[in-house]
Amino acid sequence: MWDGLTRWGYLWQETWRGFRRGGWMNWAAVATVAVSLFLLGTSLQASWHLERLLNQFGSQLEISVYVQPQVDPAPVQAAVEALPEVASVTLVSKGDAWEGLVKELGISNIEVATQQLEGNPLLDELKVKVTSPAVAPEVAAQVENIAGVEDTRYVAEVVTRLREVNELLTWVGLGAIALVISAAVATTMTTIRLVVAARSQEIEIMRLVGATRGWIYLPFLMQGAVFGLQGGVIAWGAIAVVQQILRSVLSSQPSFLQFLARELPLTSRETLLLLIVLLIFGTGVGLIASALAVRRTKAEVDSDQVAWTI
Amino acid sequence: MVPVSQFGQPNQFSPPQRSLATMVSLRGVTKVYGKSHRGLWNVNLDIPTGSFMAIAGASGAGKSTLLKLLYGEERPDQGNISVNGQEVTQLQGNKLAFFRRSVGIIFQDYKLLPRRTVAENISFVLMARGCPPSEIQRRLVPTLKLVGLLEKADRFPAQLSGGEQQRVSIARAIVGTPPLILADEPTGNLDGENARQIMGILERLHQFGATVIVTTHDELWLRRSPHAIWELRDGQLFQA
Repeated sequence: MWDGLTRWGYLWQETWRGFRRGGWMNWAAVATVAVSLFLLGTSLQASWHLERLLNQFGSQLEISVYVQPQVDPAPVQAAVEALPEVASVTLVSKGDAWEGLVKELGISNIEVATQQLEGNPLLDELKVKVTSPAVAPEVAAQVENIAGVEDTRYVAEVVTRLREVNELLTWVGLGAIALVISAAVATTMTTIRLVVAARSQEIEIMRLVGATRGWIYLPFLMQGAVFGLQGGVIAWGAIAVVQQILRSVLSSQPSFLQFLARELPLTSRETLLLLIVLLIFGTGVGLIASALAVRRTKAEVDSDQVAWTI
Repeated sequence: MVPVSQFGQPNQFSPPQRSLATMVSLRGVTKVYGKSHRGLWNVNLDIPTGSFMAIAGASGAGKSTLLKLLYGEERPDQGNISVNGQEVTQLQGNKLAFFRRSVGIIFQDYKLLPRRTVAENISFVLMARGCPPSEIQRRLVPTLKLVGLLEKADRFPAQLSGGEQQRVSIARAIVGTPPLILADEPTGNLDGENARQIMGILERLHQFGATVIVTTHDELWLRRSPHAIWELRDGQLFQA
């Protein structure tokens, strides 16, 4: 166990030497990783917010069911309530609806208005809430088949459009993230290659005195992973700061934007998940970049030897 | 001079049989650079365990090539090389790395790490092999004493003379107590007194039981040496 610890100690010591050799390029690598992870985190966060918004829209989604004139709404209501995907049904009688409409129109005398239109022109309405927005079209179709139902209406269009926007944003975000991650991999790779080049004399001596390849190159892989971890932590912090600033800006805006400000904070579970995702992605980007750098350097060393041998 | 191998002719001596007491064995080893430049040509050689062998020759005669072939840095175009019972030409990757732990290499240009102290340069070898600190400490002090650098353990290479730097290089080569020591022109950059000291250390290592192969063109030392001396000329090995 002691041997294992001292070996890790050696590897960390060599990794630290690599950082010292990297100079400002270390920061370039960490910064590009952080920027790419910031974009990834922001996109992920936006996706979670939009999903939550859609779910809220969904939970507020109502199907308006209009009952035929001369039909008693009570049995229709009972039939609708019997459907499995229906969460609740509220009856708005045509009398209440007419009264409300007349008030909204600013007409003071409801009787005169009713006489002028030769009676209440509205229908009894059932406001139906479904268990999930996804089942709304199916429930509406089933309700239309119930005897006594005149018509059904619901705002599925808005939800559908929002979902399409969410999907589009996800793809655009993924494209942008892929580009920035490529840049992060390239920068990290260049940094590691510079460090490898700066330590080429040490590597040569290590090879000649019998150090294994893993022992020689593991510190470089660790350096790449540390770049990724640092980038992940920085990105996570930056997201938290930007979120805080946005909240303070939005809270002094009109009510709709204030609603957004209220929705902005992540739950503690989402915050932890975001950190884990960023650290895993960061480590992955760093490891891939340093593995590519080491592989390329090794290939060059090998081809040099072959050329010399030939 | 008796040629051990000849271009286009059979060897005058039949190749000696390998025995357990043979540290190094070369059979028909040929190494050519480019299309026609000979590094080595059909070399056959047996070096008994515990012997001290000096290889002389002008620059470009193939001395460094021979040593590089022995520690697996280069591969022959033809022939077999056995060192300490292992077929070097077959070794690759980690097997080659583990093999090199049994060979101490001393270079003419020292190859010291400028940003590390004398002690760090020597212990670097053991660290690179994954030795724990206690083991490194246990080996470091006697090695420094042997090369007379105990007092300068904390100096950097730039603070040392050429002779002292070469002694660090020797310390680094022997700290792992390898049975075979290869010294590639270890006195090439040194004045007479320093060269004498370096060869003295190599002699002492030989007395401790190590097999030492040293390439040199130090005429004075060669004239006084009691050991077997071979000469490389145009890639061919001759016994002096």
